[in-house]
Amino acid sequence: MENDRILLEVSNLTVNYELEDETVEAVRDVSFYIEKGKTLGLVGETGAGKTTTALSILNLIPDPPGVIRSGKITLGGESILDKTKKEMTRIRGKEVSMIFQDPMTSLNPVFTVGDQIAEALMIHEGLDKSAAFRKAQEMLEIVGIPGERAHEYPHQFSGGMKQRVVIAIALACNPQLLIADEPTTALDVTIQAQVLDLMKELKKRYGMAMLLITHDLGIIAETCDYVAVMYAGQIIERGTLEEIFNTARHPYTEGLFNSLPNIADRKERLKPIPGLMPDPTKLPKGCAFAPRCPYASPSCIEEMPEDIHFGGSHFCRCSAYKDPKFHIEREDINE
Amino acid sequence: MSDKLLEVKNLKKYFKTPKGQLHAVDDVSFTIERGKTLGIVGESGCGKSTTGRCIMRLIEPTSGQIIFDGVDLASLTNRQMRKARKDIQIIFQDPFSSLDPRQTVLQAIAEPIIQNKLITGKEAIEKRVLELMETVGLAERLINSYPHELDGGRRQRIGIARALSVEPKLIICDEPVSALDVSIQAQILNLLEDLQDKLGLTYIFITHDLSVVNHFSDDIAVMYLGKMVEKAPADELFANPMHPYTRALLSAIPVPDLRYRQERILLKGEITSPVNLPDQCRFLKRCYSSCENCRGKEPQMVEVKPGHFVACHLCSR
Repeated sequence: MENDRILLEVSNLTVNYELEDETVEAVRDVSFYIEKGKTLGLVGETGAGKTTTALSILNLIPDPPGVIRSGKITLGGESILDKTKKEMTRIRGKEVSMIFQDPMTSLNPVFTVGDQIAEALMIHEGLDKSAAFRKAQEMLEIVGIPGERAHEYPHQFSGGMKQRVVIAIALACNPQLLIADEPTTALDVTIQAQVLDLMKELKKRYGMAMLLITHDLGIIAETCDYVAVMYAGQIIERGTLEEIFNTARHPYTEGLFNSLPNIADRKERLKPIPGLMPDPTKLPKGCAFAPRCPYASPSCIEEMPEDIHFGGSHFCRCSAYKDPKFHIEREDINE
Repeated sequence: MSDKLLEVKNLKKYFKTPKGQLHAVDDVSFTIERGKTLGIVGESGCGKSTTGRCIMRLIEPTSGQIIFDGVDLASLTNRQMRKARKDIQIIFQDPFSSLDPRQTVLQAIAEPIIQNKLITGKEAIEKRVLELMETVGLAERLINSYPHELDGGRRQRIGIARALSVEPKLIICDEPVSALDVSIQAQILNLLEDLQDKLGLTYIFITHDLSVVNHFSDDIAVMYLGKMVEKAPADELFANPMHPYTRALLSAIPVPDLRYRQERILLKGEITSPVNLPDQCRFLKRCYSSCENCRGKEPQMVEVKPGHFVACHLCSR
């Protein structure tokens, strides 16, 4: 891998939320990278640490109680965590933008949408008010909203339109990296399809990289180049889209796929993962998935698994693979 | 002769708004046989939840008949209706706001039993609650827990236990798994399926998630802006969708399998307001295959194949 193709690199990131009488281990020793122009999908269930990982990249972890205990984050070769507050302000919205899940609450109700897009342009691009507003109207056109609606307020837009406005703000300064945290979860399916389509098109047009956070494997399948699966604060498997969907290795990844209704055979019974995600304040010593894992051996609960590599970028964090003959059931099906 | 449990005829619910009449549910008719599941799908604002609530008369319908087990619920007095609700229960979407935070699991599940005077005596009630908890897969030790101590999946199990406590014939499931994570979703869906087999329950399954509804339903009805636009057996609907809206909706589901790539029909625009609608096809503004005919009167549901109904001028010709 040539180094200059890598835009973002996160290594050994550990983030805790340290409360008075307990510590939530939200992100535990997470490492990944994103190449220029590529999309990495971060998938996992509620509480897996997806959003905390994303907020760390922007250095936006609420502190207190959030503390980045260790790790390094480099963007275009520069270390994010060493930046001053002022330098960070210049990076956010300019180099890295973020779209949040809920478009209803991420816009300011008392400013017109045009002003809100223009604000980013005035801060980062140094445009004056009227030039910024004209550019804001252009941005609206790009996301499929008539430019004259720039004078309207957020409440005059529907949910899908608001998310388009948020996308327009995020893309106004042509960022290198877009972090999208569940960008379509609050939207209806037909609107979701429109927004995903728009994001794909804009990504191609501007050549930006994207970190897409979602719990929906269907969205991952449609938009991502690489996939990282998170469980209890760790990336437990990572690979290309094909590797994860066609030759998944980790028992949890298998469990996620089995939980979904099968489109080919709709009468097939769902196979849920038994049990619940462990309490992040009382994580087990060994593999966090072991208590729910059908393949677990007694040693899984005791010792922390290591990353096992399968060639290329595909790895999974599971001790069972120390036995070279081990494979999950899903593999039989796909062969 | 099929065994109809519920027959809804020309159900309408209009709300008065300052701008005019909002047609939340507009002339919806369907039937459900005993022991079957009807899925109602559609996007937010299409009237699927209002339909569910009108059946229980949690919202008073404007007009229409709701014939449940031979009795027209719409004609009952409030007092009679309260008794009738013993046979129809509802499970809500959000297990976080549908439970009283000050009630323990025991109190929450016992409440409908006490209200309906099904069992008397503290011990007998507690025994029944424990039985119900076992049925829905809640551990006995949780009997004195409060909702805030439990996760979403367990809370939804309490909601299901409450619904089951009065031994209903019909359960309306209004987005019962949309607030849950996928691995927990599958647990709850399996539970609902097992309960149907064991207790012979009939379900109305309201959801926006098409893959879930496909897995779960015998028949599927698609709603758009207060109207039912298509209804067919689940296999038929997925194999042979006819209404342009249904086709777009099905093509919009992101499929978590790289082997199934499908051509996507992207709809332009968004759902229009259901206030003061003209007498023409409601989907016309977003339709990609409309013709001159479509500007005329609103299309009615027509049976194009046995069991497959569709309300579209093009399809019914």
